[in-house]
Amino acid sequence: MDKYMEMIRIRFLMMLAYRTNYYTGILIYAINIAAYYFLWSAVYGGRPSMQGMSLEQMTTYVAISWLARAFYFNNLDREIAMEIRDGKVAVELIRPYSYLGMKAVQGLGEGLFRLFFLSLPGLLVVSLFLPLQFPEHAKTWFAFALSLLFSFIIFSELNLLAGVVTFFTFRNEGLLRAKRFIIDLFSGLILPLSFYPDWAQRWMHYFPFQAISYIPSMIVTESFQGAAARDGLLMQAAWCIALLFPLGWLWRAAKRRLVVQGG
Amino acid sequence: MFYVSVFVQYMGQYMKTKLQYRADLFVEWLSDLMAQAVNLIFLLVVFSHTPLLHGWSRDEMLFIYGFFLVPYAVFAAFFNLWDFNERYIVQGEMDRVLTRPVHSLFQIILERMELESLLGAVPGLVIMVYVGSRLSLSFHWYDALMFILLVVGGVLIYAGIFISLATISFFADARTSIMPMMYNISSYGRYPVDIYHRVIRYILTWVLPFAFVGVYPASYFLRKEEWYGYAFFTPVVGALFFAIAVMLWNAGVRWYRGTGS
Amino acid sequence: MNIIEVEQLRKEFKVHRSRSGLVGAFRDLWTRRYTTVRAVDGISFAVKRGEIVGYIGENGAGKSTTIKMLTGILTPTSGRIVVNGMNPHQEREKFVRTIGVVFGQRSQLWWDIAVQESFRLLKKVYRVPDEQYDRHMGEVIEMLEIGSLLDKPVRKLSLGQRMRCELAAALIHNPPLLFLDEPTIGLDVLVKLNIRQFLKQLNERYGTTILLTTHDMSDIEALCERVIMLDEGKIIYDGSLETLKEKWGQGKRVAFTFAEATAAPPLQELTVGLDVVWKKGEQPNIWVAHVPSGGVPEVVSRVAARYPLQDIRIYEASTEEIVRHIYEEGAVHG
Repeated sequence: MDKYMEMIRIRFLMMLAYRTNYYTGILIYAINIAAYYFLWSAVYGGRPSMQGMSLEQMTTYVAISWLARAFYFNNLDREIAMEIRDGKVAVELIRPYSYLGMKAVQGLGEGLFRLFFLSLPGLLVVSLFLPLQFPEHAKTWFAFALSLLFSFIIFSELNLLAGVVTFFTFRNEGLLRAKRFIIDLFSGLILPLSFYPDWAQRWMHYFPFQAISYIPSMIVTESFQGAAARDGLLMQAAWCIALLFPLGWLWRAAKRRLVVQGG
Repeated sequence: MFYVSVFVQYMGQYMKTKLQYRADLFVEWLSDLMAQAVNLIFLLVVFSHTPLLHGWSRDEMLFIYGFFLVPYAVFAAFFNLWDFNERYIVQGEMDRVLTRPVHSLFQIILERMELESLLGAVPGLVIMVYVGSRLSLSFHWYDALMFILLVVGGVLIYAGIFISLATISFFADARTSIMPMMYNISSYGRYPVDIYHRVIRYILTWVLPFAFVGVYPASYFLRKEEWYGYAFFTPVVGALFFAIAVMLWNAGVRWYRGTGS
Repeated sequence: MNIIEVEQLRKEFKVHRSRSGLVGAFRDLWTRRYTTVRAVDGISFAVKRGEIVGYIGENGAGKSTTIKMLTGILTPTSGRIVVNGMNPHQEREKFVRTIGVVFGQRSQLWWDIAVQESFRLLKKVYRVPDEQYDRHMGEVIEMLEIGSLLDKPVRKLSLGQRMRCELAAALIHNPPLLFLDEPTIGLDVLVKLNIRQFLKQLNERYGTTILLTTHDMSDIEALCERVIMLDEGKIIYDGSLETLKEKWGQGKRVAFTFAEATAAPPLQELTVGLDVVWKKGEQPNIWVAHVPSGGVPEVVSRVAARYPLQDIRIYEASTEEIVRHIYEEGAVHG
């Protein structure tokens, strides 16, 4: 466990080293949310609510989904793809830890850093001049925190999956980019899923993407309450477990391939 | 003249490189298309819940988006500076560039160009033609010239801002993730700026003038006369921001040569 | 005529010192501490046309920084540089057309396209006329034996093949002055020989002046009559390789193979007063004498007069050993 903690610490230090990033990151997050707020106020055009959400809820939804994204987002797929291309994976495999586990922990380190030192200050700045609506119940916050953790796990599992797939394909920039757009669109990051047409919503239920952004954001805006929130969390948990199977299977196949073909 | 012939030479090499990876070309184009689809879907979904956005109709918004894609595609083709810091400063390729007798920015632009991004302009043109006919917009012969002028202006604005951002790498030891974030901000120029608070409108007009790459020039073709003044100002803003960027770049190179890496 | 003139050249860098630990990293967000490092500290030298000069020193001694200043990549903090009659950091574009640069670990060539395509592009960049290109590059290509590689993409070349092409690429405009930064790093012996031979030919045929940095002393021995040795930003030796060896050769080693096994005490007694150290060889009948400069004939005659010998071998200290020794001592005395 110690070595994984150390890895998180190192990632923290690495990210702190880039201070221009740090300051501009907060500023740009704030500008982003503000722009979305005005865009949505124009969309609402004075209406009290759309699809069961008020403008305040919508603004909070947007602010929180970008905040959450800062936490769950990572480039593990690209890193893995790059390490495969440069042949570094073979070295990593002989180190005394689980390669995928180490990658995930690195992602967690980065995510925690961005959450606490980029997004939260950014959110504070934004809440000074935008009408955000935060939940009052501790229970909601707890559910949100849990949900966010699930988001991270699911996103990372998908990323690791995409990364491992690059063991089998040679050039994969396009695949990784496509994955990112699909996640942005279908996770509910840019639009709450309830805004999509019914038929599209039905389809999205069968994919893990909504578990990444839509569910935590709906929980924190209290658009999901009680049973709905519980179902959301259960669904996230189910995806966390379900994605382990293809990941484990592909990873074993990839290692076999690495041993046979030497990478 | 010398620069033109170097440009042609680079272009030829570029083609030869790219033809080696034809499959990649296709995949990249497809993923560009997907990025555009995400934005289109956002617009379409939003407009399925409201007929007008601050007085702008869905088709008008689509037209703005379509117009934006053209200067953006040209920009993306020639100013591929995303990994400038990583490639040229961290890995030290800048040293090699500085030992060649051509302006450093020009070399880097040529080394990094991604001409296939020009294909991204095609959906933009399709959208404009389709939406334009639905809105029965008028089109005069001189509008073609106007179009080119406005597109060039938009490209120069984008280039100016992103070159200036790349210049930061000379001064700071930072691996900047500012560029992708700036990309987010640039997308707000695609919405009618009158929906924003005046501070943001001011920023999008005079500080990070992305409104000149989207809504202002597009409103010329949409015949929104109240915005004409801004629309005609596009090339001026473009030239200004580009000139500033080149000056910053030169200062950056001077600094780099003073400090090394 | 001097091709390079350097006077009191100095280069200082400001280096950010990070504090340790997480708390330190947070403090670094607000205030930073800098220290000034003097990478090159007041060096002066001149290089004549047609010389091949080895520029050596340990990592961090200031070699690369000097090269970067001489090629106009970096501007000096103070001091005067004139290269090819110009100031490298002014009139950059005009200046770089008169020099060729090869960085051993960095490619000039485009990875994905055939070598000759890269050449064509560089020809354009350096504005080389067709006729001059054909004549000059024809010879270069022939000397480097890369004719058969020209239509292959760079990524398909071996390191040695690539390095030869890199050299050719740096010579497209037939520069009178060539800078080589670690040109043989990572290459196998045969390729190294090939490249050295080429550089010699180039120097003889075109009078190209060459300044090279290397870690490989055999490069220096094969190519350079003159070496400039750098330590902590200062020149600690500038002169011919021969003089360096004479002064610092620390004498020679003489290996005696005796007819029969022998022991140290009688040998020591035999050479008393000659400052000789005896060491046991690989077999009981082999003994090695470390003899100071000039003492070899006396030692050999004394030993040969006293013992029946099967063989005598005399070893000189290698340049590598000499250089290592100098660095261990810290400076060249006298």
